[in-house]
Amino acid sequence: MKRRKLQHICLLLLIILSYTGFSCVTEDQFSNTPSGNFEALWKIIDQKYCFLDYKHINWDSIHTVYAAQITPSMTNENLFEVLGNMLANLKDGHVDLISANDVARYWKWFEDYPENFDDSIQRKYLGNDYKTAGGVEYCILDDNIGYMYYSSFDSAIGEGNLNQILSDLAVCNGLIIDVRDNGGGTMTNATKLASRFTNKKIMTGYIEYKTGPGHEAFSDPYPIYLDPSSNIRWQKKVCVLTNRRSYSATNDFVNSMSLLDSVKIVGDKTGGGSGLPFNSELPNGWTVRFSACPILNVNKENIEWGINPDVKVNISSYDYQRGVDTIIETARKLLKK
Amino acid sequence: MKKIVLIFTLFITVSLTAGAQLDSIVPTRFVTSSTSVGVGHVNILDTYLSPLNYNGTEVRYINEKMHLTNMMHGNVSAQRLLQVNVSYSSNPTEDNNAFAGLVNFAYALHYQFHVNDNLKFLVGPAAEMNLGFVYNLNNGNNPASAKLYANLSASGMAIYKFNIGHKQWIARYQLCLPMIGLMFSPHYGESYYEIFTLHHNSNLVHFTTYANQPSERQMVTLDIPVSNIKLRLSYMCDIQQSHIDNIKTHTWSNLFMIGLVRDFYVLSPGVHQHLSERYKAY
Repeated sequence: MKRRKLQHICLLLLIILSYTGFSCVTEDQFSNTPSGNFEALWKIIDQKYCFLDYKHINWDSIHTVYAAQITPSMTNENLFEVLGNMLANLKDGHVDLISANDVARYWKWFEDYPENFDDSIQRKYLGNDYKTAGGVEYCILDDNIGYMYYSSFDSAIGEGNLNQILSDLAVCNGLIIDVRDNGGGTMTNATKLASRFTNKKIMTGYIEYKTGPGHEAFSDPYPIYLDPSSNIRWQKKVCVLTNRRSYSATNDFVNSMSLLDSVKIVGDKTGGGSGLPFNSELPNGWTVRFSACPILNVNKENIEWGINPDVKVNISSYDYQRGVDTIIETARKLLKK
Repeated sequence: MKKIVLIFTLFITVSLTAGAQLDSIVPTRFVTSSTSVGVGHVNILDTYLSPLNYNGTEVRYINEKMHLTNMMHGNVSAQRLLQVNVSYSSNPTEDNNAFAGLVNFAYALHYQFHVNDNLKFLVGPAAEMNLGFVYNLNNGNNPASAKLYANLSASGMAIYKFNIGHKQWIARYQLCLPMIGLMFSPHYGESYYEIFTLHHNSNLVHFTTYANQPSERQMVTLDIPVSNIKLRLSYMCDIQQSHIDNIKTHTWSNLFMIGLVRDFYVLSPGVHQHLSERYKAY
């Protein structure tokens, strides 16, 4: 009898445990209506975007302004335009709203500035005999200056590629690394390239992440280091060429290279883009990309708005007409000094 | 019955061929083993990847072994459970998809309370280990969530045996509740780039309780004798959830499964060694 009582108690406890204190873990689901999609997007940015405080954006008042433009009968095109306009207030090239047939984006970080790059003119420097390794095109200019163009850090480059490039250019007196119009890509590609230009481990900056939905909820900055590559490393002078379209992972590359004694940054200020972007989505299936983790420089300053060059140069309109790239020419002169 | 006769015959053969002493039947060497596969519906939420619920199809494989032990005068049984599941799901508008998978290994010890010859209740602790992932096909720097967690769980079972005709059917209900454990989870907005490339891996293992990991696994099985085999029909309701560092996850699985049950008697190495070679495939 005692044993049977014990059996019943054990089972009852188990059943009770399973139902008291058991709750479903769910997330509020917004409706797939214009207002539901608006609220979902506003909440994603409110809770996960990392630059609201830094950029002094009053996201609550933006809700008021744009909620007034949402109507139940508006078309998808109208909704896309309103949501895109709302996101433009973030002034962030890492913020996109992607629908099935369009991408709402913010491009003023380069549209409002001189281009400072012309691929037709660049082709005259590369010639027809340039080599290609991974994502890099490279050649030796006629004054024995090495020139390499990395158009996108989305293109992978291997250690073997870099060994070959630096071996081929080892005879040169200096090296130009051109990352103009490089809109970014994979940070590990940028780090791999930068590691060939330092002989010692250096700190290049910090990274933070959001610890909660609050605008000010951030982790302590975590230091980022650049380790020297165990492969071939360049020991001579370097000029890194930048323009306003040098963005995201390229901004991170320029930040690392700017700390090295043998490197000069030449050209225009970079476009910035120091927030590591994440993705999320709305009830209607539209994808939103947004900056989630800020990367800071060694002084714990935000580099979201870009990095100034050591030598500020624009391609003059006279040089454009002559087919001369003023920025490359300036770099060549610096490397010969 | 036929199996027991065969075993006795083998023992007699061994004793005649090797001159060894006859071994005695050991209850702990009887093993009930089953393998089942099934398909069902899954609902996945992982707010690290997306705020939306993903719905889709899951397939699952379960292998189970149960046998008595010598503990507490032979009243304790051991259950070993291995589950592997994979799923493919879509967001509500079906324009994005996610893959998910999980391997679960559980080892439980149950004290058996016999009500009568037909009904018994089993209660005891279970140790579980889980390894898996959720992969969102559209995301960039947050494409996937790794699942790595271990639990100490409370497990209970009711087993009822009944006859239809001259054949014995066995029905079983099992409930398993993770009570405490450890779980890997990135922080709210922490990237896997920071964890694995920059090696910032502090405070990634979180202590879990029923409060922040309210999960349960319920299983109903029916073993049906069909000719010379035993068929197992199962229904599994598996609710795996967590709410850690403002990241909410749930995987709700409901599956129907079908499998086979076999009863084995495990020979001791000594008996096996003295068996005639004509009984051994290996």
